[in-house]
Amino acid sequence: MKGLKPLFLGIFATFAFSWLGLALVPNYQIGHLDPQSDEEGTDVYPMPPSGMAERGRKVYAANGCFYCHSQQVRPDTDSSDIDRKWGDRRSAPRDYIFSRPVMLGNERMGPDLANVGKRAPADDSNTAAPVASPAGSPAASPVAATAAASSAAKPAPSRPGVPSVPPTAPPAPSPATSLDSSPKSNGVAPAYSAAWHHQHLFAPRALDIDSNMPAYRFLYQNRRINGERSADALTLTGADAPPTGWEIVPTYEAKCLVAYLMSLDQSHPLTEVKSNAPPTPPAAGKAATK
Amino acid sequence: MTPTFSTYDAAEVPLKAPSVSTDVLTSEVEQVERALIDASTRVPVLMFYTSAIVWLLIGTVLSVLVSFKLHSPDLLGNVSFLTWGRIHPAQMDIMVFGWASMVGMGTAVWLMARLCRTVLRHPLLLVAGAAFWNLGVLLGVGAILGGDSTGYEWLEFPPYASIVLFVAYSLIMTWAVLMFRFRRGEQIYITQWYLLGAFLWFPWLYSAAQLMLFAVPVQGVMQAAVNWWFANNLLFLWFGAIALGTAYYMIPKVIGRPVHSYHLATIGFWTYALFSSWTGMQRLVDGPFPAWMITASIAATILTIIPVATVGLNQHMTMAGNFQLLRYSPTLRFTVFGAMSYTVFSAVGVLISLRSVARYVNFTEASVAYTQLGLYAFYSMIMFGSMYYIVPRLVGREWRYGSLIKLHFWAAVYGIGLLTLMLLAGGFVQGSSMNDPSLAFSESTQSILPYLRGRTLAGLLMMAAHCVFAFHFGLMLFGLGRTASVPTFLNPMETEDSEPQL
Repeated sequence: MKGLKPLFLGIFATFAFSWLGLALVPNYQIGHLDPQSDEEGTDVYPMPPSGMAERGRKVYAANGCFYCHSQQVRPDTDSSDIDRKWGDRRSAPRDYIFSRPVMLGNERMGPDLANVGKRAPADDSNTAAPVASPAGSPAASPVAATAAASSAAKPAPSRPGVPSVPPTAPPAPSPATSLDSSPKSNGVAPAYSAAWHHQHLFAPRALDIDSNMPAYRFLYQNRRINGERSADALTLTGADAPPTGWEIVPTYEAKCLVAYLMSLDQSHPLTEVKSNAPPTPPAAGKAATK
Repeated sequence: MTPTFSTYDAAEVPLKAPSVSTDVLTSEVEQVERALIDASTRVPVLMFYTSAIVWLLIGTVLSVLVSFKLHSPDLLGNVSFLTWGRIHPAQMDIMVFGWASMVGMGTAVWLMARLCRTVLRHPLLLVAGAAFWNLGVLLGVGAILGGDSTGYEWLEFPPYASIVLFVAYSLIMTWAVLMFRFRRGEQIYITQWYLLGAFLWFPWLYSAAQLMLFAVPVQGVMQAAVNWWFANNLLFLWFGAIALGTAYYMIPKVIGRPVHSYHLATIGFWTYALFSSWTGMQRLVDGPFPAWMITASIAATILTIIPVATVGLNQHMTMAGNFQLLRYSPTLRFTVFGAMSYTVFSAVGVLISLRSVARYVNFTEASVAYTQLGLYAFYSMIMFGSMYYIVPRLVGREWRYGSLIKLHFWAAVYGIGLLTLMLLAGGFVQGSSMNDPSLAFSESTQSILPYLRGRTLAGLLMMAAHCVFAFHFGLMLFGLGRTASVPTFLNPMETEDSEPQL
């Protein structure tokens, strides 16, 4: 076949066409979005993440969390994402303007995390109310059984420095409560609280027997208790618990990772997306379908 | 060919056509010429192949480990660099950049030299390119295992590793394209189209992605769009183009007759370049993107039926009447399997891109099956076929054992077949339970466990195939092949009039 010029031109043209169409034009369309705010310039969303959360995003990327956890809620016309309480509305480009790298994910070996920060208990340091997340923690009962059984054998560390066990808590048979935990007897912190995330990252199958998530134990430090037990030491039971006199504390990376997870929240209404959430007054009038 | 010519220094051979005196047969001259060209490509191409096979073995071991960990998550979980989240991207990138890219460049360089009918000048520069490429992959994989992944699929290598890869690539590409400039003969064969395309598309693709993700990063979800655009085009315009070009060379060469229709081949090439480069966004269906992007990609995916049909028809017509040769020729068997897998790969691609199906299989293992079909059943099998053809011409020996080739073929075919079936079926099961909000989410991950165990079995089969192949290749490399004038057949040759060229 003759004619080199048409060949080279064609090779470049086809590729340029695809680049133009799938990278440049969309970038023009959705690549320069600003946070939205109301008329007074308040109620800005989204906000740039904190330094710790930003660092946690790197930990999240480096350890490949995004290969199994997506961060996008699809519309309820095509999926059950909203029925699963993964979000009140579908995700929109504006939700991600501060995300770098953006990790939408393309596989769900684990649940979607787009709103995992939203699912945390409202006041996560001393809540005594039962946690309202039955949909999110399917295996609560077997965990409770195993954990309660094993907590009897567990040595009870004394923690005089921990102030936050609410005085109104029901009489707990086990002393295995920690800073962030609910007064539930099994030592499991309220789902999606910071303490729960740490327990879950350290020993996923202690919280959900069916979980196939790998444990990220290298993000935690096993160290001897010097004097008092640290406030942020993990409450662990059974085989996961450290020997007496030792404690397991999160490294700074683990704390950043949890800060990142807690920061994931797309619940704020966006004008361009219809929300299924109970309408909040300022957004209700403006909610428009697009 | 005879090994006698391989002792000549190819660079000293004058480039003009050897003057043919009347008492020398043209065919003999051509044979000498081919031997000289083969000799000039020997060191670089063997270096590419050897590196590729080493990466393949490492990647296979890691991928079996990855597969095991999906159903036994506590296996070797206490060491940071052996956790699933790190070895998964490491094995993927080893397969993409270590195995697939290196074997592809080896084959492409050899094909270019053969088709341009010119010796490879300065082969040492290609060797340096291959060495740099290895260094880049090594750096990148080390970075991933050490916790420095960037968080973009198939682009996990941090920029310092990508730069090394890019330098290596410039060395390699320059020489491949230069060869084209020094070609002899007016004809440009269809294989050269695909190879030129691949060699020119890759650097643009890679640098555009690097630029838009790292140098001048785009905002928010656009990163995901660029990421998918890159991964998809890498699969089609780099690996796919090399594989199709190779198939267009190997099939006619082995059966000894020209491509059925040149016209069809041209249509196939341009529609392939046009439509397949627009696919990719269908993987983001219902994501936070303008709907037109996804619709455009779904349409393009459906339109890829045109190149699939033309390429498939053309190769089928070329093969017609010669299917019995699949019994004997290893090259033909691997290549035809790969070419047929191209059709299956595209059909699966169309199926899972349809919105009504995608709502079930999005976010499931079915998309892994699709990638594996493209990267392994289509691309890698054609590459294996080309290596069975090229390596004997480089080392001057024939493959030692026909039985080992057969073992390699069947273990690989059963491996990839089982893997695809398991992941596709598992993906549908996983997706339908994920899509039913009355079931707990863990139901969907539990329902796919048996399929994941089947996938591990498939991985073990493929590991066996690769070990057999690596062993056989090692024998060739150390000069332990057969010294025979007839190529190694899969089955003993029955009496036939026309000897296949193999």
